[in-house]
Amino acid sequence: MQRDVGSLPLSPALRARLLAAGFQTAQELLETGPCGLSKEIGISREEALEALQVVRQECAGDAAKTAGGSGSTRKCTALELLEEEQTQGFIITFCSALDNILGGGVQLTKITEICGAPGVGKTQLCMQLAVDVQIPECFGGVAGEAVFIDTEGSFMVDRAADIATACVRHCQLIAEAHQEEDHLQALETFSLESILSHIYYFRCRDYIELLAQVYLLPDFLSEHSKVRLVVIDGIAFPFRHDFEDLSLRTRLLNGLAQQLIIIANDHKSAVVLTNQMTTRFGQNQSMLVPALGESWGHAATVRLIFHWDNTQRLATLYKSPSQKESTIPYNITTFHLLKSFKIIKLRASGLPRCAASTCHPKCRRY
Amino acid sequence: MAAGVVWVALKGHPLGVTRHHCSVGGPMGMLRAVCPHGPPWYPRVRYGTPWVPIPSPHRSLRFHPRSAPSHSAGAMVVLRAGLCPGLTEEMIQLLRANNIRTVVDFVSSDLEDVAQSCSLSYKALVAVRRVLLAQFSAFPTNGADLYEELKSSTAILPTGNPSLDQLLDAGLYTGEVTELAGAPGSGKTQVCLSIAASVSLGLRQHVFFLDSTGGFTASRLYQMLQARVEDKEEQLEALQRVQVVRMFDIYEMLRALHEVRDCLSQQVESSAGPLKAVLIDSVSAVLSPLLGGRQSEGLAIMMQLARELKTLAKEFSVAVVVTNQVTRDSSTGALKSALGRSWSFVPSTRVLLQGRAVPWEEGAAPHTACLAKSPRQPTGMQVQLDIGSDAVQEQRPVTPTP
Repeated sequence: MQRDVGSLPLSPALRARLLAAGFQTAQELLETGPCGLSKEIGISREEALEALQVVRQECAGDAAKTAGGSGSTRKCTALELLEEEQTQGFIITFCSALDNILGGGVQLTKITEICGAPGVGKTQLCMQLAVDVQIPECFGGVAGEAVFIDTEGSFMVDRAADIATACVRHCQLIAEAHQEEDHLQALETFSLESILSHIYYFRCRDYIELLAQVYLLPDFLSEHSKVRLVVIDGIAFPFRHDFEDLSLRTRLLNGLAQQLIIIANDHKSAVVLTNQMTTRFGQNQSMLVPALGESWGHAATVRLIFHWDNTQRLATLYKSPSQKESTIPYNITTFHLLKSFKIIKLRASGLPRCAASTCHPKCRRY
Repeated sequence: MAAGVVWVALKGHPLGVTRHHCSVGGPMGMLRAVCPHGPPWYPRVRYGTPWVPIPSPHRSLRFHPRSAPSHSAGAMVVLRAGLCPGLTEEMIQLLRANNIRTVVDFVSSDLEDVAQSCSLSYKALVAVRRVLLAQFSAFPTNGADLYEELKSSTAILPTGNPSLDQLLDAGLYTGEVTELAGAPGSGKTQVCLSIAASVSLGLRQHVFFLDSTGGFTASRLYQMLQARVEDKEEQLEALQRVQVVRMFDIYEMLRALHEVRDCLSQQVESSAGPLKAVLIDSVSAVLSPLLGGRQSEGLAIMMQLARELKTLAKEFSVAVVVTNQVTRDSSTGALKSALGRSWSFVPSTRVLLQGRAVPWEEGAAPHTACLAKSPRQPTGMQVQLDIGSDAVQEQRPVTPTP
C-alpha cells in the first residue's frame, strides 16, 4: 500500500502542485524521477531532487521503522513500558508529602507544571529540583545535570548555594551513619562547586528567545547527555504581554509543548514549567485558574497547583495520569522547601534531623 | 427529474452510505456511473434493483470516478502507458499535446472532438474510456447487501465503564470514529486506558495506542488490570496485547497509521494480531500547532488525517477512539470540542467529559460525561463516570487532607 502524497512532509506549495498534476502516491513520485518531476510541475531540478529525497526517507522510514535519529524506539508493548517505568528513577523534592502525592517524586519523561500565585514557592521548588537531580544514585537520586531557563530573572545564586549546601550536608550525615564504600566515594564528587557547575543557566528575555532556546535545546542536550532535568521558570511571563494575536499565541504555545514533550521523551529527562495564575469569571463568582488559557492545560502531563489557605501553603495535584487528586500542606524553610523530609530509598531511623533551622557559618563556602 | 431514489453505496468510501437523488449532475457533480454494458450515461445497479434513467448529461458534466483507496491510486492518476490495454505511449503523447493528462480529463472530455484533434480512432478511444471507467469508478451495492455486510462485520466493544457503555448504546462500535473531548484533568486518558484494559483483557483482542501527549502510564494500566483479574499471567498477557506508539508530530502520526494499515492488510499476525481498537491520545496535540492564523495547510492535513482514520475504521472494522481538547464558545461560554467545524463532521459519536472546576473545594462534583453527537442516541444524555483510583467501579470522593 502506498503513502498518499498529502501525508508526506513536503511544503504546501509543492504539495498543491503535485496534486494538481495528478500525482497521488509516493510510488509514482519515485518512479518519475527528478527530471520528469521538474518538467511536470515546473520546478527546478534541485528542488525536485530535494523533494524526492524526503519522499525516499519517508518510505524507507516506513520499512525500517527507525525513530528519526533519537536512539530510542518509540513503539513497544505496554509490558515493556511497565518494566521501563519501574526501573526509572524519580527526582525527589525533599518534601515527603509532596513526593507521596506525586507517586515518588517528579517523573522523568513527563512534563510537570507548577502553577501558583506570586510568592507561593514555585521558584524555590525549581531550584530545589535543580539540586536534587544531581544526588548520586547510591543516595536515591538520578545523578543527572540540570538546565535552568529563566525568563523572569528570579534565580538567585546564593539561594541555590544554600540549598546545595544543605543537600550535601544531608548526604554526608547519611554516609556517616551507614559507612559504606560507594557512599564515601560518591561524596567526593558531590560538593557545592560541582552542584553549581552542573546547573546550566539560560536567560531569555522575550518569547522569541524562549522559543529559540527550546528549539536549540536538543542539540545542547545531545552534547550534555547527563542532563535529566529541564526547568523553565516562568513560561507565562513572555507570552502574557505584547501579544495581540491570540490564535498565534495558542499555536506557538502548542508547538512549544510538543517540542518539550519530544525533548522529555527522547532524552529521558523531566521537564518542569512554572505558570502564573489568572482570574476567570464564572457565573456568579470568580476563581483563580492557571494562566495561558484552556489549551495550555493539555500541554503538561502532571499539574500541581500551589495556593494559600489563610497563612498555610497548600499544594494540590490537579492532573496526573497515574495518581489520585489530593492536597497537602508544605512550608519553606531556610535551607529546604519542606516540612519534613525522608530520602525514599534509605530509611535512616535515629538519624538526627538535618540542621535546617540552624545557620552554620562554616556551611557557607563559595 | 427521476422519481426514484438510488442508494449509491460508495464502495470503500470512508463515509459509508450516501443517498443521491437522481437529478442531473447532483449537487456537486458527484454522479457515480458504472458502465459494464450499454451506453455510459445510465447507471445500472446490480442485483436486480431497478435502474433509473438519467437524461443525457450536459456537456459540462464531469465524472469523478473514484475507487477504493486500497486499489491502485485514485482518479487523478496521470495517464500512463499500460494503464489499460488500449493505451499506448504515442496515444498518451498525442493526448498530452491536447492538454489531456489525467484519467479525469480523458473520461470527461468529448471523444469526438478528441478523435478529431488528436487524429486517433474514435472506437479505440471509446474502448479505452470504457476500461478506465470500469477500473476507476465505484460500484454501487444495494441496501440489503450493505446491511448484511455491516451486521456481520460490526462488533460492539465494551468500554469497561458501565455508565459510559450506556451512553454509547452498549459500547464502541467498530467501523466508526468516536471522540472524547474534555478539559485538562477531566479523565480522557483514564477512559482511554480503561478501554484498552477492557478490550485487551475481556475480549483478548489487540489494541493500538498512539500517544502524543506523554500521558500513557503503563503502571496505571497495570493497576486497572489488577483490579479486574487476579491471575498475574493474564495481566501480563493483556499488557502484551497493548501496543504503544509515541509520536509527537502529525507526519509521524500519519506514518504510524499507515504502518497499522499495512500490517492489517497483509494480515501479519505477529505484531498487530486481531486488532479491534485504535486509541489516539490526543489528536488536538498534533493538529493545533498547524491550525489558526491564515494558513490553510493545517486544514488540509487535518482532513488527510480524518480520511486515514475513517478508512482504517471502515475497511478493517476497528473502533477508532480519539481525544480532543475543548474551547469555550465565545457567545454562550459553554464548552465545546476544539479543532473547529471541519473536524466536527469526522467523528460519528462525540462525548464531552467534565471534571471538577476547582479541585480543592469541598463537595466538588464528580466526573460526568455528556453525549454531544450520536447517530443512535438522543444528544444531551448525561451520566456520571466513576474514574476511581484502583477499582474502576467504586467512586472515592476526594477530600483535602488537613
